[in-house]
Amino acid sequence: MSNKVIKKINLALVILFLTIICLIVLYPVVYVISSAFSPGKSIASMSIIPFGNGFTTEHFEYLFTKTNYVNWFKNTFIIAISTSALTVVVASLGAYVFSRFRFTMKKQMMMAMLILQIFPSFVGMVAIYVILLRIGGLDTLWGLILIYLAGNIPYNTWMVKSYLDTIPKSLDEAARIDGANHFRIFATIVMPIAKPIITFLAITAFTNPWMDFIFPKMVLRSDAKMTLAVGLFNFVTEKKNEFTNFAAGAILIAIPFIVFFTITQKTMITSLGGSAVKE
Amino acid sequence: MSTSAKSEDKKLKLALDGSDKTKVMLTGIVFMGLSHIIHLKQYAKGIMFALVEIIALLFSPKIIGKIIDLITLGSPQPDIPVKDRDNSIFMLIDGVMVLAIIAILLVIYYISVKSALNEYREYCISQKVKGSKEAFSTLLGKSFPVLGLAPTVGLVVFFVIVPLLFSASVAFTNYSSPGNIPPNNTVDWVGLDNFFSLFGGDATWTGAFGRVAIWTLIWGATATITCYFGGLIMAVVLHENEFKLKPVFRTIFILPYAIPSVVSMLVWQNLLNGTFGPINRTLQAFGIIESSIPWLSDGTLAKFMCILINLWAGFPYFMLMTMGTMTAISADVYEAAKIDGASKWQNFKSITLPLVMYQTMPLIIMSFTHNINNFGAIFFLTGGNPVAADTTTTSAGSTDILVTWIYNLTINLLKYNYAAVIAVLIFVVLAPFAIWNFSQTKSYKEGEV
Repeated sequence: MSNKVIKKINLALVILFLTIICLIVLYPVVYVISSAFSPGKSIASMSIIPFGNGFTTEHFEYLFTKTNYVNWFKNTFIIAISTSALTVVVASLGAYVFSRFRFTMKKQMMMAMLILQIFPSFVGMVAIYVILLRIGGLDTLWGLILIYLAGNIPYNTWMVKSYLDTIPKSLDEAARIDGANHFRIFATIVMPIAKPIITFLAITAFTNPWMDFIFPKMVLRSDAKMTLAVGLFNFVTEKKNEFTNFAAGAILIAIPFIVFFTITQKTMITSLGGSAVKE
Repeated sequence: MSTSAKSEDKKLKLALDGSDKTKVMLTGIVFMGLSHIIHLKQYAKGIMFALVEIIALLFSPKIIGKIIDLITLGSPQPDIPVKDRDNSIFMLIDGVMVLAIIAILLVIYYISVKSALNEYREYCISQKVKGSKEAFSTLLGKSFPVLGLAPTVGLVVFFVIVPLLFSASVAFTNYSSPGNIPPNNTVDWVGLDNFFSLFGGDATWTGAFGRVAIWTLIWGATATITCYFGGLIMAVVLHENEFKLKPVFRTIFILPYAIPSVVSMLVWQNLLNGTFGPINRTLQAFGIIESSIPWLSDGTLAKFMCILINLWAGFPYFMLMTMGTMTAISADVYEAAKIDGASKWQNFKSITLPLVMYQTMPLIIMSFTHNINNFGAIFFLTGGNPVAADTTTTSAGSTDILVTWIYNLTINLLKYNYAAVIAVLIFVVLAPFAIWNFSQTKSYKEGEV
């Protein structure tokens, strides 16, 4: 056999392998999409062939008219956007101080931050519950925002601080000579340069609350205040099996994420790969 | 010249050679800010420090009361109404908070003495008192870091440190259902009792702990390794072959990473359902299997499925990482290998693989710690099920890992004391990994810490 034929067979095998993996990856995705548009409630009544049961949009109508889905979406969005904005402000301000000032106990504080970020935040679950109970933060969105914000700070302050350390200090010193105060230097000089890390921080802080389950489950009580993760989870508990409604709701959350990841995959490959490279 | 002459006049009653250091320090220790007022004539700063101590002293009876409560955790008062009884948990949390406040006060104390000494040193060097305008501007300059850090310190102390200390304390109490749940009953300090019963004292609990801990480690290791090599293989196959549809395949493979795990795991749970799941029904329809397979209801098979489904969800992350490092390998290396007559396989074996492995090693450690705490992957897929022999007592199912067990203990069983012990243990096991990981970061290596 000539070299060319071997190469062709090789490539065919590779594509066959990739196609099989593709089918495995896509199977649940396709099935969920078909469930969202299938009549009926439970997954048990559905055909094993995707889209084999006909087509309906009743589940989407159900979500928007009969449940608090819109409310859940709004709550999750409010929590995510506030957590993201507050994390950016607090973490970058803290990181700026850590990066540019010398003060008593600085080293100890940095070390404490490093050790604190090891703990997963659910470790303090009971205490957080009691603290929120005492300050009236249970069943409120701000209580949840406060938890996420505090949990985000140790790691992210470190991350932003490491980035700010790479920005030459001569820049802000020059501005100091021109008479700008610290806050102005921070807002008009340092922040614009730190934009890449701030964007990254804002995105990660925004996406986390969409998937978190433990804290909303613990803090929020009333159905109208639920977040998407808890609300969707309740569709497929043992008591009620509304897989089709769940699927419709799930698609609506997953779409923005998928679009975002598909668009940014090129950048992610380079930035993730770059960050993985050992110095 | 007149202003400088004026400030020359305002000499302090302190030696200029630094010999009054002890005097300044001792006065500062006697009362916060006293040194600033008496010796250094920095009234604004001194009064601010003094105010902190005065406020602290005004509250001291309350502070002492809270500390006593922390030590006793209240006494049982079965004859009075429930709402008036001592609430041990409030006492515990208030006590921990008061300890945190005392720690902050001590730090401010330390800073005040240190600041007095710094001011004295500056005075010795410059030989003159700062004008009030100058003092004000340094105060303003120094207030920026204080204001900038205040939200960070406040949030971290009260929502991270206090909860952690509280959890650690609960591990040494009997805070558990049914006998010790406030407000009906009080909680008491029990020393190391919980540790003893989880490590040998109580056969059922010790057995459950051992079982869950071993599965957690196996899970953490296999979940990481399978995802790592799964991702590596996909990245290599995509990277080494050239064909038209490559971007399409890549985009599809990223999908599991983009879908929130709450969604994907709940979907798999339903697809794999033993009785009505489409996977079993499909296999039966094709005649591949006769009776349905208990994917998630047989202990061993369920564990295997956890790892398999986690591979489905986790390989894209490592695929992206590996692709990133592979594109970063310089083409010169391959060029040199080509001249030496290396085959494609040799290229891969001796250049690509070692380089990628070396560069992604820290990620493996990070991913291991992540998987040990991967609540979602287990909770949403199996919910810890199927039940094991001891599940009714311990609430730990066959596929429960330590984190999901903590959740069950807290939410369903109200055994806060055991949950706290397990949380403390997870920390003890994971801390070295996390510290090692940080020791690999750039800022740590450059001595910026």
